[in-house]
Amino acid sequence: MNPLHMLGKAISSPWLVGGVCIAAAAGASFADQGTVQMWCFLIVNIMLAQSINVLTGVAGQISLGHAGFLAIGSYAAAILLKDYGLSFPVAVVASVLISAAVGYVLAIPSGRVREFYLAMMSLAFGLIVYELVREWRGMTGGVMGMRGIPSPGLGTLEVFGWGVSPEWYFRIMLVSLIGMMIMLRNFIKSHFGRAFYAIHVSEIAAGSLGISSGGTKRFAYALSGGIAGLAAGFYAFLVGYITPESFTLMRSVEILVMAVVGGLGSLAGQVLGAGLFTYLPQQLQAFNDYQYIVYGLILVFSFTLLPRGLAGLLGTQTRYSKHDQLSGQVPGLDTVLSRRSGSGQALVEVCDVVMSFSGLRALDGVSLTVRRGTVTGLVGPNGSGKSTLVNVISGMYTPTVGDVYFKGEKISGWPAHRVARAGVTRTFQDPRNVPSFSVRENILMGAHRLYTHGAFAASVNSAGAQREEGRFLACTQGLMEAAGLSAYADDPVGDLPYGIQRLVEVARALASDPELLLLDEPAAGLSDTEAERLMALIRMARDHGVGVMLIDHHMDFLEELVDEVVTFDAGQEIYRGDMAGMRDDPSVIEAYLGKEETSHA
Amino acid sequence: MHGGPCGSARIFLAESTKTMVFFLQMVFAGLSVGAVYALIALGLNLTFWTTRVLNFGQGSVLMIGAMLTAVLIGYGVNLLLAVLIALVATCLVLIITEVVAIRPLLKAGGSMGWVVSTLGVGVFLQGLASLVFGTQAVAFPDVLFSSSATLQIFGAWVSVQYIAVFVICVVIVGLMELFLRRSTWGYGVRAVAHDRELASLMGIPVRKVVLLSFAVSGLLAGVAGILVSQISGTVDPGFGLHLLILAFVAAVLGGMGSAVGALIAGLGLGVLEKLIAGYYSPAAAQTVAFVLLVAVLAMRPQGLLGKKEMVKV
Repeated sequence: MNPLHMLGKAISSPWLVGGVCIAAAAGASFADQGTVQMWCFLIVNIMLAQSINVLTGVAGQISLGHAGFLAIGSYAAAILLKDYGLSFPVAVVASVLISAAVGYVLAIPSGRVREFYLAMMSLAFGLIVYELVREWRGMTGGVMGMRGIPSPGLGTLEVFGWGVSPEWYFRIMLVSLIGMMIMLRNFIKSHFGRAFYAIHVSEIAAGSLGISSGGTKRFAYALSGGIAGLAAGFYAFLVGYITPESFTLMRSVEILVMAVVGGLGSLAGQVLGAGLFTYLPQQLQAFNDYQYIVYGLILVFSFTLLPRGLAGLLGTQTRYSKHDQLSGQVPGLDTVLSRRSGSGQALVEVCDVVMSFSGLRALDGVSLTVRRGTVTGLVGPNGSGKSTLVNVISGMYTPTVGDVYFKGEKISGWPAHRVARAGVTRTFQDPRNVPSFSVRENILMGAHRLYTHGAFAASVNSAGAQREEGRFLACTQGLMEAAGLSAYADDPVGDLPYGIQRLVEVARALASDPELLLLDEPAAGLSDTEAERLMALIRMARDHGVGVMLIDHHMDFLEELVDEVVTFDAGQEIYRGDMAGMRDDPSVIEAYLGKEETSHA
Repeated sequence: MHGGPCGSARIFLAESTKTMVFFLQMVFAGLSVGAVYALIALGLNLTFWTTRVLNFGQGSVLMIGAMLTAVLIGYGVNLLLAVLIALVATCLVLIITEVVAIRPLLKAGGSMGWVVSTLGVGVFLQGLASLVFGTQAVAFPDVLFSSSATLQIFGAWVSVQYIAVFVICVVIVGLMELFLRRSTWGYGVRAVAHDRELASLMGIPVRKVVLLSFAVSGLLAGVAGILVSQISGTVDPGFGLHLLILAFVAAVLGGMGSAVGALIAGLGLGVLEKLIAGYYSPAAAQTVAFVLLVAVLAMRPQGLLGKKEMVKV
C-alpha cells in the first residue's frame, strides 16, 4: 500500500480526529491566547473551505465571490447583536439563515444558464457586496469599519449573562464544526449528495432520474451560503472589528485556493487545505510578499497537476451512499419492482407529434401507444427519428406540434425531471452513468425520485432516513444480483467494460421503479451473456406491469422480446405490427436496403 | 410686480438648462465608457466563440496594457512605442493564457477547470504588477489629446478625450464586424465557432484560428485598457475587475453573438451607469448593473439581442 494512502487512512480515522479534538478542547486552557485565536481562525477557514467544497466539489458550481457571503454574514451577526440586542447564538443562526437566503436568490437564474455564467455572477456578487459595505455607512460604518463588536478576546461577549472566555469560544466553535462536519457527511451520503454530484456530471442524465438541475443548484448555493454564514457569525465576534478590506476579491480567492488545494469533493481534504493556508502565512514571511502570485499559480496549475488536491494524494475518498454506515441492517427483499396491475392498458399516448429542428422534421406526425406490461419495439434506419421520439416522451424536447399523454395527463412541455418523477425513466444511446461512482451508488441513484425524507433527516441519519436508505440499498442489491453485477458492486463504473456500463444504466433505470421504461439501444456492444441478462431484466420489468419501449437494431434480440414493433423512416411510421410481418413488408425493406431497380426484359 | 413671474421663469429656464447640461454630460460620459465596455465585451466574445471559454483574467490584461503604457511613458519612452510594446504584451499574455491555462483544461471537459485557471492568471498578473510597479495608483499620461481640451455639444462641455475614445471604440468594433464577415480569417473564426470538429474536417486550421482569436482578444483588451485609463486618469494593479464584469454584462445583454449587439448593449449600459452614478451613487450604478445581469440571465439567458441556443441531447 502506498505510504501516503496509509497516512491518509490514519488521519481520517475517527479515533484520531476525536482524540485531536478532545486534546485541543482541553489544551485550550493551557495554551496562550494567540494560539487559541489561531485555532479559531483555523475553524473559520475549515468552515469556509467546506462551504466551497459542497458547492464546487460536490455540486460542480463555481463561486468566485465567497467573501461576499462572509461579509453579509459577519455584518448581519454583528449588527443584530450590537444594535438590536439579539443574543449571541441567535445572531449566529440569523447569520446562517441570511447567508443561505442570499445564496438561494443568487442562484435563481441557475436553471437556465451554464455554470460559468453563475461563476461570473458570483464574481460580480463579491465585488458588489464589497462596494455596498463601503458605501452603506449608516449600517456598516463604511470604510472605517465596524468597531466595538462584543468579542471573547476583550471579554465583552456574553451568553445569557455568562462572559465567554477565548478558550470557551474556541470550544463552542469546535463543537459547531464537528456537528456541521458530521451532518455534512451524512448529507453527502444521502440522495441529496448524489443529486448534487449528478448535476455536476451531467444535468441531462440527472434530469432523466427526476433531479431538477435548477432546484438542486439553488439548494447547493443556499447550503453553501449557509455554511459560509456559520463561519461568518463566528468570525465577526472572534475579531471584534470588521472592515470592508477583510472581504475583498483576494479573500474569495484565498478561500477557493484552500478548497482546491485541500481536494475538491473530499471533506477531510478541506481540513488539510484550510490548515495549510492558515499556518503558512504565519510561518513564512516570504509567503505574504508573494501571496497573490502564489495563489494565482496554484489556481492555474492545480487542476492539471493535482486535480484532486491533497486528499487525492492521501487517497481519501468520499462515498456517496450509506452502505458503509448501514451494512448489516439492509433488509432482504422478495421483489425489487412494484407489481403493477392493469396490463394492456394504454400508458403513454403520443398524438400527431411533429418535432422540427430549424425546418428539418425529425418526427413528422407520429402517433403511438405503449401499453402496460408490453414491450414495443422501435426500428428504423439511423436518423429516422427513434431517439428523437424517446427525447420527446422523456421531456428532453418539447414537440413542435402535437401532445404526449402519460396515464391520461398531458406531459409534453413538462421539464424532463418532472416527467421522470411521474414514472417515466429512460436510458441513453451512450451510457450516462456517473463514472466515479461505484456500481452500487449509480444504481441507488436511480431510486432518487422515490425518496421521501428531507435534508435534515438525511443529515442527522434519522431512523426514517436510515430505513428508507436501507430499503433502496436492498433494492440495489437485488438488481445487481438480477443483472449479474454483484461482483463489481464497489468498483467505479468508469473503469468497467462497456457492456457492464450499459447493464448498470438499465439497472439504474429499473431502480426508479418506473411505470414506463424507454431503452435507447440497450443491447449495442453487449456480449451474448450480457445480452441474456439484459433480456432477463426487460422481461422482469414487463412481467411487473412496466410498459417498455425498446429501440434496437438487433432483430433476433427484438424477436425474443417485443409484442409489437413500429418502424420509422424519415420521421414517419411506415409499419406497425409483429416482427414477422415487418421482415416481409416492402416499405421496410425499401427503407433499409433502398429501392430495387425493376428490370424490364 | 411685472418682473416677478418673468424673472422666476428665467431662473427656471436657467435651472432646467443646467439640469439638461448635467444630463447631457452624463450621457456623453456614458457613451464613452460604454464604447469601452463594448470593446472589452468583443474581446471576451471572440475567444468565447472559438473555444467556448470566457477569460476570467481579462480584467488584469486591461490593467497590464494600461500599466505598461503609463510606466514606459514615465521612463521617457516614445508614446507610440510604449503603446506598441503594451499591446504586444497583452497579445502575448492571452496567447500564453490559452496555451497554459485553457488548452490543457479543455481536454478534461466541463468549465470548472478553465474558470479557475483563467482567474488564476488574472490573480497572478495582479500580484506580479503589484510586486514590480507597487500597489499605488499610477497617473495615466495624456495619450490622446490633452485632458483639458473640451468641445461644446448642445451646450454641454465634453472632453475631447471622451469623444476620441468613443470614436476609436466604435470604429474598431465596426472594423471587427467587417473583418468577421468579409475576411478569410473571419470566416475561419465563424466556422470554428459554429462547429469546431466540422471546421477541422473542412481543412480550416483550427489551432491557428483559435490562437489568432486570443491574440486579437488581447489586442482589444490592451486598447480598451489604455482608452479607459485615459478617461479615468489613473491605473492600479487592482483595476480591471469592474470593467471585466460590466463588459460581461454587456456581452450577455448583447447575446454573446455579435459585435453590434455588444456595442448597443455596451453603450446602453454605459449611459445607464453614468446616469445612476450621477443622480444617485456609483455603488448604486454597480448594483443596478448586477441586478440587470441576474434578471437577464433568469428571464432571457440568450440576451436581449441574441438568438436562443438549441441544446442537443
